[in-house]
Amino acid sequence: MPALQRDTGWGPMQAYFEAARAAHAALSQAGFPVELHQPNLPVFAAEGEAKELAAAHKEGKHLWRGDAYVQLADRGRIVGLCRFLRDQLAYQQIIDVTAVDHAAEDKELWGMYAFLSLTTKLRLSVKTMIPKDDCRIDSIVPVYPGANWHERETAEFYGITYTGHPDPRHMLLPDDWVGNPLRKDYKFPEEYHGISCV
Amino acid sequence: MERAAPSPGLLQPGQREIELDVRTQDVEINMGPQHPSTHGVLRVLIRADGEIVTAAQSHLGYLHRCAEKIGENVDWLQYLPYTDRYDYLAAMNNNLGYSLAVEKLLGIEVPPRGQYLRTLIVELNRIASHLIAFGTYGLDIGAFTPFFYAFRERELLLDIFEKICGARLTYSFIRPGGVFNDAPPGWLQHVEDFCRQFEKKWPEYWDLLVENKIFIERTANVGIIPRDLAIAWGCTGPMLRGSGVDWDLRRDQPYLVYDRLEFKVITGVGYRGTVGDCFDRNYVRMLEMVESLKMVRQCLDQMPEGEVSHPDVGLIIRPAPGEAYVGIENPRGELGHYVVSDGSKIARRVRVRAPSFCNLSLVEHIMPGTMLADAVAIIGATDIVIGETDR
Amino acid sequence: MGALSQKFEDNVLTTKVDWLLNWARLSSIWPMTFGLACCAIEMMAVGGPRFDIDRFGAGAFRATPRQADLMIVAGTVNFKMGERVKRLYDQMPNPKYVIAMGACATGGGPYYKFGYTVMKGVDRIVPVDVYVAGCPPRPEALLEGLMLLQQKIRRQKVVRVPKVAEIPSTPSIA
Repeated sequence: MPALQRDTGWGPMQAYFEAARAAHAALSQAGFPVELHQPNLPVFAAEGEAKELAAAHKEGKHLWRGDAYVQLADRGRIVGLCRFLRDQLAYQQIIDVTAVDHAAEDKELWGMYAFLSLTTKLRLSVKTMIPKDDCRIDSIVPVYPGANWHERETAEFYGITYTGHPDPRHMLLPDDWVGNPLRKDYKFPEEYHGISCV
Repeated sequence: MERAAPSPGLLQPGQREIELDVRTQDVEINMGPQHPSTHGVLRVLIRADGEIVTAAQSHLGYLHRCAEKIGENVDWLQYLPYTDRYDYLAAMNNNLGYSLAVEKLLGIEVPPRGQYLRTLIVELNRIASHLIAFGTYGLDIGAFTPFFYAFRERELLLDIFEKICGARLTYSFIRPGGVFNDAPPGWLQHVEDFCRQFEKKWPEYWDLLVENKIFIERTANVGIIPRDLAIAWGCTGPMLRGSGVDWDLRRDQPYLVYDRLEFKVITGVGYRGTVGDCFDRNYVRMLEMVESLKMVRQCLDQMPEGEVSHPDVGLIIRPAPGEAYVGIENPRGELGHYVVSDGSKIARRVRVRAPSFCNLSLVEHIMPGTMLADAVAIIGATDIVIGETDR
Repeated sequence: MGALSQKFEDNVLTTKVDWLLNWARLSSIWPMTFGLACCAIEMMAVGGPRFDIDRFGAGAFRATPRQADLMIVAGTVNFKMGERVKRLYDQMPNPKYVIAMGACATGGGPYYKFGYTVMKGVDRIVPVDVYVAGCPPRPEALLEGLMLLQQKIRRQKVVRVPKVAEIPSTPSIA
């Protein structure tokens, strides 16, 4: 495979859009409940975009820029999706597993997965929603061993339980740490083991 | 290229030599967090049967500095100094990764001179980072001199950085929208002088460390990572290329001006052992310095005139709502920034995909079966920066 | 100095003995190899050829706290590491000195406000003799810190009784 075409200063862009489209088509054909999300702003900002954004915001329209991604509606099928991506679409590497807490009042966390293919040289992001009151999702370590530490880290930062994870210990925080720091409603600790935190 | 056959007495991973006259028992050895060879505050628990490692477990978090939480609490531009501090050996690369991610949301392209200046300085920083990797790897293996050689040249590089941005280690030079300032008068000449100087010194390192018999004995055929394992565990950078995988983001997913530069992607070839051993990882880094030097020269030749920054980006940045992932080739592998914006002046999420974090996760799986003394060689060849694994 | 320490009045002999002991101590400070974060790279640069900490007799970096006189806390200390720092400090033989290098070790630095695991200054667990400012400090700044520490050692009373006003108050250990 030849290298991807660089069309912006931060790397290839069109190729990734097409990769997301192709992956979406293949996944929906295989019966996965997936949805394709594509940005509706152009790659490069136009003149006077800030005004346009503000106006759209007032009207309740949602304009956004960045990467296209595939959203999986049923989080229970994440392991099957990963296996499909690895075996059928040649996404050999897991690049990142993480989560996003968009706002404290949101009922759901975003579970994010980023894949990379070394043969087709493409990238793919997959998003799935994890409700905060039932914060669990299957671990993808059996498919991608490289997700091991990423899941451990995300688990302690967001309080997500990755069911079936082979080694569910704390990653970065001390074992007796209370709270999930990257949740938006996290309260900073007052003291730890008698040492003041402020 | 000649290939030395593995010496017969060598233990393959998983294989054990049974000596009847030596009765051994399991001992647990705690390396770190304060240990001279763990490159910072990494802690590795090793269970050893006599001298043979049977299990290893890494403990992280001794330098967890909450970078991702800070990213959600400060302005887009205010976060830039924190990017300096996770991989402090390659701060320019970190600045670049974050700036590119923000620019993707802003939808702006940096003027050509800015892009060339960025490429040039990032490659210089790669040389500085690999110099540290090479010097401290010598220290780990037991050779003290390479450290002094490496620091001598590194100081010359730090002078160059200091001249353009005023800092020796934490630069914040590359920022969303371009770079901090244009090169001062005479700076490009200074870089060219460095290239000439470094070119003469580099063969010395090669003779001093890489072709050294003791060094080869300590690193060749030690800690072999097969190709498939490296890919499955998400290794990137010299760890992946050392295992013989031909993959470099600069060539395969080009950003900045890399598609206009000519360079070779170095992969491990088993120069003195098996493909994917500690020697090969170091070999890749050594030769990458030469490739980076080539790129610096080309940047100097092609450097256009003009502006270095995009005029629209001020101190307060309000990117469009959206999310963007940008992965760049850091000296240690793929440094990814995943940023989520809601259109305000503070990010909703700044996720850092740290290359040493992923590379390190494999280490505890290749250690079993090796000798205790080789554990140090394996950790050293991974070239981790703890600021980055823990963030 | 065991049985002889701080027993004698000021006179020509004891002053000379003190001068000699202090001179010996300040000219061969052995720091501990103990890098935490970014500042550790600058500490390594100080040990490197251009800045050469050996000129001040402090170049013998020891890998074990048992042989070290000086702990240079070079970098951010977080709670997980704090316990280890304290344990390392306790293992060092007397007399022992601590340099807090950089903004993080001095007071939390850039991580003061949102760093939930970052200790806001290493002086909350170990007593600090010299604070070096900077993020990270330049190697020259660390060398200046070392010289300040040497000045401090020069004024110490080893066999002589210190006057009450000279006894430093014990830093509070949280």
